[in-house]
Amino acid sequence: MQFDDQGRVNKSKKRAVFNQPEAKNRVELFRHLPQYEHGSQLTDLESKFLELDSMHPAVYKVGVQYLAGDVTGGNARCIAMLRAFQEVINDYSTPPGKTLVRDLTAKISSYVSFLIECRPLSMSMGNAIRFQKSRIAKLPLTLSETEAKAALCNDIDRFINEKIILADKVIVRHAATKVRDGDVLLTYGSSCVVEMILLYAHELGKQFRVVVVDSRPKHEGQALLRRLLAKGLSCTYTHINAVSYIMHEVTRVFLGASSVLSNGTTYSRVGTACVAMVAHAFRVPVLICCEAYKFHERVQLDSICSNELGDSNDIARVPGRPDVNSMDNRTNEKNLQFLNLMYDATPSEYVSMIITDYGMIPPTSVPVIVREYRREYLLI
Amino acid sequence: MWHRSASFILDKNQNDTVYPADSVTLTPPPPSSISTPQNPNPNLNRNMSMSAYYQTRAAHHGVVTSDWLAQSQEAATRAVVTGGQEIVDGGKSGRAFSVIDEFNNWRKQPDLAEAVAAIRALAAVIRNSEAKTMMELEIELKKASDSLKSWDTTSISLTAGCDLFMRYVTRTSALEYEDFNSARSRLIERAEKFGEISYKARKIIAMLSQDFIFDGCTILVHGFSRVVMEVLKMAAQNKKLFRVLCTEGRPDRSGLRLANELAKLDVPVKLLIDSAVAYTMDEVDMVFVGADGVVESGGIINMMGTYQIALVAHSMNKPVYVAAESYKFARLYPLDQKDMGPALRPIDFGVPIPSKVEVETSARDYTPPQYLTLLFTDLGVLTPSVVSDELIQLYL
Repeated sequence: MQFDDQGRVNKSKKRAVFNQPEAKNRVELFRHLPQYEHGSQLTDLESKFLELDSMHPAVYKVGVQYLAGDVTGGNARCIAMLRAFQEVINDYSTPPGKTLVRDLTAKISSYVSFLIECRPLSMSMGNAIRFQKSRIAKLPLTLSETEAKAALCNDIDRFINEKIILADKVIVRHAATKVRDGDVLLTYGSSCVVEMILLYAHELGKQFRVVVVDSRPKHEGQALLRRLLAKGLSCTYTHINAVSYIMHEVTRVFLGASSVLSNGTTYSRVGTACVAMVAHAFRVPVLICCEAYKFHERVQLDSICSNELGDSNDIARVPGRPDVNSMDNRTNEKNLQFLNLMYDATPSEYVSMIITDYGMIPPTSVPVIVREYRREYLLI
Repeated sequence: MWHRSASFILDKNQNDTVYPADSVTLTPPPPSSISTPQNPNPNLNRNMSMSAYYQTRAAHHGVVTSDWLAQSQEAATRAVVTGGQEIVDGGKSGRAFSVIDEFNNWRKQPDLAEAVAAIRALAAVIRNSEAKTMMELEIELKKASDSLKSWDTTSISLTAGCDLFMRYVTRTSALEYEDFNSARSRLIERAEKFGEISYKARKIIAMLSQDFIFDGCTILVHGFSRVVMEVLKMAAQNKKLFRVLCTEGRPDRSGLRLANELAKLDVPVKLLIDSAVAYTMDEVDMVFVGADGVVESGGIINMMGTYQIALVAHSMNKPVYVAAESYKFARLYPLDQKDMGPALRPIDFGVPIPSKVEVETSARDYTPPQYLTLLFTDLGVLTPSVVSDELIQLYL
């Protein structure tokens, strides 16, 4: 839904589970994306806990985790959501006069809208939900309720196992062949797959060092850095403003992705496009590591038409540095708008190869995988 | 020594190294021969990191010297004598069917590509197999394929050809049949078909490329590719008026051989040294190269010098056409020049080089897909991005 369409926004507000006040001071270009005042959201939602009879507690818990930022990263969010749906299905019983297929689908849809209110869906989650709904729709009518529920839970388990956990293992094996002794590997932010690759290559005994590039306001790289250091890898830590300074020493760049689109564009954490562009200018190969379930048939040419806006206070404030906080009280000034984008789009020319569980493919082959993959999962 | 081919130098090395268990050498290896100026040490084996693939190509297509010619005559006469013995012994030993020997038999003809010889050998494995179940047959095939691949690990088309053969042959629903014999005959049918396609690939590629050669064009060719030779031969037969600029192709100087062949066809040929490519690129209309292997990104691995020529052509906006059979599509993805397995070939500079000086002996380089315009394959005229598409469809 485009949020600059006032009529539809008002309609959806009526259906909303909890009321979120919209941010007042918004950048014109991004009016089509939702942005809310972040201060009171969490307390609002928590106060509604006892009022939500239609909401399953597992889904509510996942929603709160998304809102608070406890669960981040495409894979983690997707798995949390699917596990919550498993509990929903287990506790579900068909009300009299309704069919399981229709009612369960309607319930899942309402839970999904609640999760969207907490935090907009990532594309991997969208794919997982579409898979889920197609599995429900394909249930043979002869199954009893318990059998149907067991089959659906089984499907979810299989999806998580095959498309995420095993896929990660395959990606790690492929990527480790591209790490040679003496390499300097650069990574940006914190991607769980890239972390697994680095740790696995280290276990194999390859001699390499890692450069972790990080950025405000989330500083996601710090957690990755801590985990790598604990395993004994030699690391360098720097911020994104120094990436062109350090790129001449780098031999390979490993990046994660939230999604890869049909024209080969990588949709990933904001800053990834910058790192990829600098790497390309220095002729350093850029390897995107992404599971195939995150591929999407959409085509996106820029980072504007679809994105996510974060909290503007995160930019205005620097935690622990009161002397730099001159921006802090100016979030409502008329001449000043803060923009905290969460994602950006990396064009396919900057990407050398995409490592997926289907092997190593060039960015031009993403629509082929989408085509073959859709055919496959419609047949299971 | 069973082999009559010009690659007897190579085969002699094979007799020195130990074969895998399924082959039985019935005649002792011949006494060592005089060194030739071309291969100063004929007893080079894999320990000296010499790429067997490039040795074969040098033997087939390099410049022929008189000493070398005398040696090959000698080897041929010796082999004729032992040839009769071979058939008799082969019959007696029964289960001593060796895929390597079959492969070498096919490889004798310099016109036959290595990968096609391998494919024919694997087809023969199925035909001569005594397996009673499909599982056993597949295991046998896999073993044969592995031994062929390990015969020369640096040859990409050999590995790719074997892998593709295995996928093509076993990817049939005929394997669901209850009756083993009908399933087996189906496998044999597919194997023969694949062999036929691969053998005819060159003709198809030549036919497809005719449209791209217009009257009055100037073609730059690098290295001796039999596919490109076929293309040019067919164009000459179709009475097209074109001229060819041929690079020398150091160190094996295969360009000289190509120039010879073209001159026989009455095609105007001009020889260039490798460094003169940029100088003459202005008058060139298109660049035609073959490929040792086509990788997943759509790039090609070919004789050293191809990348250089592609870069120059790209900067001067000249199209680069690659003629490659589809069995050369390999599941490799090099990120840069050093990301491939090494294939080394000793270079003879004509003067002694002090031992302190290192020499770059790599025999091949990788050309990324952005410098290639089109690929002519037996699957049609493709852009480089389609290679991955084809591989995904075959392997998934």
